[in-house]
Amino acid sequence: MSLRALRIGIVCPYSFDVPGGVQLHVRDLAEWLIDQGHDVSVLAPASPDTPVPDYVVSTGSAVPVRYNGSVARLSFGAVVNARVIRWLESDFDVVHLHEPLTPSISLLALRAATCPVVATFHSAMQRSRPLEALSPVFRPSLERVSGRIAVSPAAHETARWNSGTDPVVIPNGVFVDRIAAVGPDPRWAGTPSRPTISFLGRMQEPRKGLPVLLDALPAILEACPRARLLLAGPGDGAEVLSAVAPEHRHAVEILGTVSDEEKAGLLAGSDVYVAPNTGGESFGIILVEGMAAGAPVVASDLEAFARVLDDGRAGRLFACGDADDLARVVIGLVGDASAREALRAAGRRRAREYDWSVVGEQVLAVYETAVLAAAPVESGPLTLRFEAWRDRVRRRVRRGAGR
Amino acid sequence: MGGVVLADVVGGASAGSLVLAGDLGLPDVPLRYVVLVVALVLLAWRLTYTAARLDRLHARIEGALTALDAQLVRRAECALELAAAAVVDPASSLILASAATDALAAEDEHSAGRLEIENVLTETIDVALTPEVVAAVRAEGGAPAELVERLAAAGLRVQLALRMHDDAIADCLRVRRKPLVRLFHLAGHTDLPQPVPLDAPQRL
Repeated sequence: MSLRALRIGIVCPYSFDVPGGVQLHVRDLAEWLIDQGHDVSVLAPASPDTPVPDYVVSTGSAVPVRYNGSVARLSFGAVVNARVIRWLESDFDVVHLHEPLTPSISLLALRAATCPVVATFHSAMQRSRPLEALSPVFRPSLERVSGRIAVSPAAHETARWNSGTDPVVIPNGVFVDRIAAVGPDPRWAGTPSRPTISFLGRMQEPRKGLPVLLDALPAILEACPRARLLLAGPGDGAEVLSAVAPEHRHAVEILGTVSDEEKAGLLAGSDVYVAPNTGGESFGIILVEGMAAGAPVVASDLEAFARVLDDGRAGRLFACGDADDLARVVIGLVGDASAREALRAAGRRRAREYDWSVVGEQVLAVYETAVLAAAPVESGPLTLRFEAWRDRVRRRVRRGAGR
Repeated sequence: MGGVVLADVVGGASAGSLVLAGDLGLPDVPLRYVVLVVALVLLAWRLTYTAARLDRLHARIEGALTALDAQLVRRAECALELAAAAVVDPASSLILASAATDALAAEDEHSAGRLEIENVLTETIDVALTPEVVAAVRAEGGAPAELVERLAAAGLRVQLALRMHDDAIADCLRVRRKPLVRLFHLAGHTDLPQPVPLDAPQRL
């Protein structure tokens, strides 16, 4: 539906060395855009020995920084700034910054960019004191952003707090067909006699809610003694097992970290996929992946999860943190094959709405509108003409210095 | 040398003038003048900086308005094409065609009348393309479905441009409310930006 091929620059503040929600989002978006015939370059930190796709330009290694309550791998500094400026010289039609309010290359690119800028806000934080304190510094830069996107209503609230504007909500995307094509993995597929219940996520992170699921285990095993509980994700399996009563340990299988392919296979073969997260979720892409794979999804009734699951129509919800309620919902589903089938179908339909073909088209619409809204430099106000002239001079000087 | 100058400055400050000037062969300048000049320079920098910032914001609003204009025209074109292709029943097609033609005729106007016409088009699109009709056309596929998708995409882009415009206005008003901007009349003769009161988005 797009008018012409755009030259798009995407800036990812977090390092490609470790997987993460924003990195995956940027990678998928870039691949979808390239698929649509656009010219895409992604600027992101990555250490020299990390293999990156060929559309990624690295700003060098990232440093782990404590910021806003968690450790982020970011890159900044004078050398990095010079790299960002050089990257911006490739005359993009539009530059798309992710998390523009992190102390990172996104912020550097925001200051240096002269083309139309689109920004996506991912995180949901309450209020950021440092940002409030520095808002006189950031505000003029943020005013350069013409198109603002938030990935969830929670992120929308955060952005409204911190930048005082009203971003359009465009959810995260998944490649539904890719996930659906994998099919059940025989190692983990449930059978009528041995149903499987799966969990994905960092096991030791309390907000991922594994303890809630383990608390529900005795009741679940009482109702269906041969059920298998499959736990996938990074973490110390032995520690998890030690928290389970010895008579129930036989039901728990620790899979450890799994590949994307294995993850899809696990979800596709699950009789129930449980997301017992207790909070801090801005979106819940994993639920979409579960639905795309065809897993009947059971999730805690967090606002973000309820939204993705269409208020319980595309998956079952249980009271957040309530192991008894979780057990009740899981037992109900495991014993009812037709309900599971209905849920699989509803989930697949729902997941379509988060397919990149839908989500990417919306992002592209923001790009196009931002490009359209860019003031023509030649006849624009004096300031813009001055800036364009200054950029030309700077470029010439830098080229001269490089010789 | 640096140490000497610093000592001179400190000494000069207590005496109420800069002695370092003597070192460089310049006349003695009372400190208060130096402070005044520095303050004036800072104020001038601040004023030009803020004026440039405001200028950019006004340009952003202007640009967003241009985008909104272009997207509205594109939407009207899509609607007209859809009406001409007889995707919906003849009566609906006719109403749609008439609303779209009106919108295209009002293309160059920036007035309340234009808004009214665009709102009528939105309404007409909602009436002609009910969810049932859209579902039926989509299920059938082919060229009609494509036209419907294009109209939906055009409607989305109108909304995005509108939001971009409102965002730019919010940013601009925040700066224009600053006492410095009002005191020094930095906005010049530019009118206070007004939001475009377009109705709710088309359902499609």
